[in-house]
Amino acid sequence: MLSNSNGTTGGRTLPEGEALLSVRGLKKVYHTDGGDIEAVRDLTFDLGRGELVCLVGPSGSGKTTLLKCIAGLLGATSGEVLLDGEKVTGPPKKMAVVFQEYGRSLFPWLRVADNVELPLKNAGVPKAERKKLVEEALDAVGLSHVPRSYPWQLSGGMQQRVAIARAVAYEPEVLLMDEPFAAVDAQTRADLEDLIRNVWKKLGVTVLFVTHDIDESIYLGERVIILSSSPTVVQEDIVIDLPAERDQLETRSLPRFTELRHHVYAEIQKAKQGHRPEEAKTTFLTNPK
Amino acid sequence: MKTLTSLLYILALPVLLILWWILATAGGASFFVPTPADLVKTFIDTWIGERMFTDVLPSIRRLLIGVVGAIILGVLLGLLVGLNRTARAITEPVFEFFRALPPPVLIPVLMLLVGINDGMKVAVIISGAIWPVLLNTIEGVRAIDPVQNETSRSYGISGFARIRYQILPSAMPTIMAGIRQCLSVGLILMVISEMFASSSGLGFAIVQFQRSFAVPEMWSGIVVLGLIGVIMSFIFQWIERRVLRWYNGLKEVENAV
Repeated sequence: MLSNSNGTTGGRTLPEGEALLSVRGLKKVYHTDGGDIEAVRDLTFDLGRGELVCLVGPSGSGKTTLLKCIAGLLGATSGEVLLDGEKVTGPPKKMAVVFQEYGRSLFPWLRVADNVELPLKNAGVPKAERKKLVEEALDAVGLSHVPRSYPWQLSGGMQQRVAIARAVAYEPEVLLMDEPFAAVDAQTRADLEDLIRNVWKKLGVTVLFVTHDIDESIYLGERVIILSSSPTVVQEDIVIDLPAERDQLETRSLPRFTELRHHVYAEIQKAKQGHRPEEAKTTFLTNPK
Repeated sequence: MKTLTSLLYILALPVLLILWWILATAGGASFFVPTPADLVKTFIDTWIGERMFTDVLPSIRRLLIGVVGAIILGVLLGLLVGLNRTARAITEPVFEFFRALPPPVLIPVLMLLVGINDGMKVAVIISGAIWPVLLNTIEGVRAIDPVQNETSRSYGISGFARIRYQILPSAMPTIMAGIRQCLSVGLILMVISEMFASSSGLGFAIVQFQRSFAVPEMWSGIVVLGLIGVIMSFIFQWIERRVLRWYNGLKEVENAV
């Protein structure tokens, strides 16, 4: 079932035609005046339709580079990204990105509802339909009371909710999130994590969530892909077998959560020390229960 | 109460200056400085009447055409250049050269090229007033936030829509600062363009009064210029407050942190 037939180092791949998003042998080298920098060496993994996958890796492991390549914002040096079987060459219509820098990603001259509406307006969605989508999206992130505010009148956590609402209203098939909660305080972050789980369940969207926070990746994900340190390959691809209903207190105090946390932490430590995976592997950690 | 206080602030200094002027000229005015009462009388006699239509309004019309032309051309050209790195590298040194030229030296050339008419005067105004708008637009477009660019790209906002919804609003604070300068340069050039080979206009009238030693009339013309400048500045501030409401709010929030 869990095959890795292509023989290269990588995460879990699915039989042809089953994956929504495929990353194949992705490599990205930046050419700078000081020489070439190999940010991503060789990444291969698949995302099935409706999955919620977290990408976690040590800082400087090329997480953002990878996400930008997937989003079509950066061209890969070699390898390819396939969305629904089609090669990604520019930002695809079926994807939405939530950036870490919510304050710079929202347009400060537009009010909250207008920010959410803009991509729809640009895509030529009819007005009545737009209004409905914007209202639903703001409702989904708990911001239906501030459509007329400007983003900068809101707290950081609320601004990131607006950015999430904008992505949700766009009705993407894949939602890419680049360390979206790195700049908000711990309590807000917990709320936003639950928000993402809810949005994911309600809308059935496929989510790829990049983070450097191990706990966050386990709490959120159905699956966690651990990246090695730069030049990046997939260190490990593990399934998170926690109950589907997650709760900040309950889930985080489960023995299984602790085990997974230990495991991912150890892998990241190894990655930092320069350990490279020898071969492709997808792991079901044996559950001692 | 608040409006009353701000009105007091606006009027306090002018009232003081006029009082001082009344006192200073009380013991008999010099030939070169009329008393306030004289000036008011001359002002009404000179400008409220035929001259309003032969000098003041035509001047204002040329000023408006020149300034609006400079703004439109400056912003369009600025967008073109600012969005293209190569264009920027090629044009910037040339722009610096032309900007350094004092526009009045172009008047004789423009008289030959355009002819002695309204077009020449408008051309003089545009040739000087365009620079602050053009250079500020280039700067505003160049300084656009890369995260905003990526946001636009990832949502498929490109071409004209991107200019309209992202680039222009984002560069607007810088562009408005350029427009403010453009207005004052425009007023100066309006006067200067009318001092050469002209037969009407405020600049022409003021020079005419000077040469015929009509001193109070000359002063009243200068007052007209001052009033035009003040009115323009008020209109500009009114527009700026509306256009940059988001920006001023954002700055306030940032400064409060």
